[in-house]
Amino acid sequence: MGSMLGLLTDGVRAIGRVGSGVAGHAGGMGLLAWRSLTAVLSGSVAFKDFIAQAHSIGVQSIPLVLVTATLSGVVTSQQGGYQFTGAIPLYVLGSVVTSSVVLELGPVLTAIVLIGRVGARITAEIGTMQVSEQIDALYSLGRDPIPVLAAPRIFAGMIAMPALVGIANAVGFVAGMIAARLTVNLGSESFLYGARMYWHSYDFFYSMMKALAFGVIIPLISCHMGLLTRGGAEGVGRATTSSVVFMIIAVLVADALFPPLFLN
Amino acid sequence: MAKGRSQETVIEYRDVYKAFDVPVLSGVTLSIPQGEIVAIVGPSGTGKSVLLKTTIGLIVPDRGDVLVEGESVYFGRREALREVRKKVGYVFQNAALFDSMTVFENVAFGLRDGEAKEIGREEVVRRVVKALEEVNLDPSVVLRKLPAELSGGMRKRVGLARAIVGEPDILLYDEPVTGLDPVNTAAVDQLITAIAARTGVTSLVVTHDVPGALGFCDRIALLEDGVLQFVGSPAEFRSSPNPLVQAFADREAAAALARQGLGAPA
Repeated sequence: MGSMLGLLTDGVRAIGRVGSGVAGHAGGMGLLAWRSLTAVLSGSVAFKDFIAQAHSIGVQSIPLVLVTATLSGVVTSQQGGYQFTGAIPLYVLGSVVTSSVVLELGPVLTAIVLIGRVGARITAEIGTMQVSEQIDALYSLGRDPIPVLAAPRIFAGMIAMPALVGIANAVGFVAGMIAARLTVNLGSESFLYGARMYWHSYDFFYSMMKALAFGVIIPLISCHMGLLTRGGAEGVGRATTSSVVFMIIAVLVADALFPPLFLN
Repeated sequence: MAKGRSQETVIEYRDVYKAFDVPVLSGVTLSIPQGEIVAIVGPSGTGKSVLLKTTIGLIVPDRGDVLVEGESVYFGRREALREVRKKVGYVFQNAALFDSMTVFENVAFGLRDGEAKEIGREEVVRRVVKALEEVNLDPSVVLRKLPAELSGGMRKRVGLARAIVGEPDILLYDEPVTGLDPVNTAAVDQLITAIAARTGVTSLVVTHDVPGALGFCDRIALLEDGVLQFVGSPAEFRSSPNPLVQAFADREAAAALARQGLGAPA
């Protein structure tokens, strides 16, 4: 009885610790988002910093996004073709590929690419600045690190992510169409016919909303975790790992919340 | 422009407390008049850098207050902290130069927010060059370099140039000679004296280098167990009967000799 009570107490304590940790991070990120917004609205963010980050987050991610988008289109097309052969009219493949890419694979895979390529780098970069006192140096020189470091990255992410997802959607669609011709011999016209048949313009809007949400989540978490970094090189490694884990969980949770919120 | 000395208190620590799990500062009180060079020495982990950081709000004390030029940093006006930071130049332990910026950009960043736009590009260049020359660096050699391309001694000097380019009233040095060889240590010690003599800036230097500090400071303070165990002139420090002072001075003199034997060129 006593051990059961002890287990229960430990369980409640653990839930309390996790809950308190999550609430602390959520509060910190809410404050960071608010301060970044006010920094942008008050004109404290240098335009050149925003452009540099948009280039780093957006333009430099294009090659990797092209690769993942192409492969996602090809794989979806091949697997759909394999399942549909002899059972469902093959032109339906056009709709399946389009919906899969636009509603799910384009935004989510691009987000995963950005988490690995951009999010981890932002946390490591800001974390290194934190442990090497560069953030303190900013404060000592009368500069607030939010307009200098966080706001340009967060708003560049908001702009770059929808653009990257737009590219991923288009490339995934074309790659899927080419793969359908090569693997199950479905012509482009039939593929396009299937794609048009079940297409809703809202799907593209939905895809862009997801992209915008992920475009906020990734730099927000990565900047937040970077600014919380303590403890030298080991601390930077720990913060980067935690940041990547949090970003993946946050993106997948947000992805799971989208259909009940926006597709019904 | 040298301001000359006065008895006006520029920095005042009033009963400052700070704990990180364990107490680090346990009631530090110290007044520093204008133009004075004060060295704070003490064993590692006794809160010397913490005390320095409370001056400009990089670490907020749990209790007590810091007054800069008579204005409370923590219990005064909302703008007090921002204004205090404008008056203070801070030299960080590892220079804390911005990795992605060139030496020119790093030093120019030391000009206060908006000042660079006000004075124009030519004046910015002139001031950066002057600051670099003042710390004995050749601008034509270092101006376009990135911090990663500089030696430890040069990085420290660029950090010092960034701190003085805005012509502050107060200079805070956090371990300015740590990791430097004896030649560079002596050079930095001389710079601290020379800058103070030329500008009349009030200087607070946290250091392990007791022999060096005794050479350049007006007063020396020993911080141990969270409180100032001794505050006095270098002569008083040398002849102090305080056993803590004697023990610390002996330890540091031995350590300094060992460092000189092992010092690598910067």
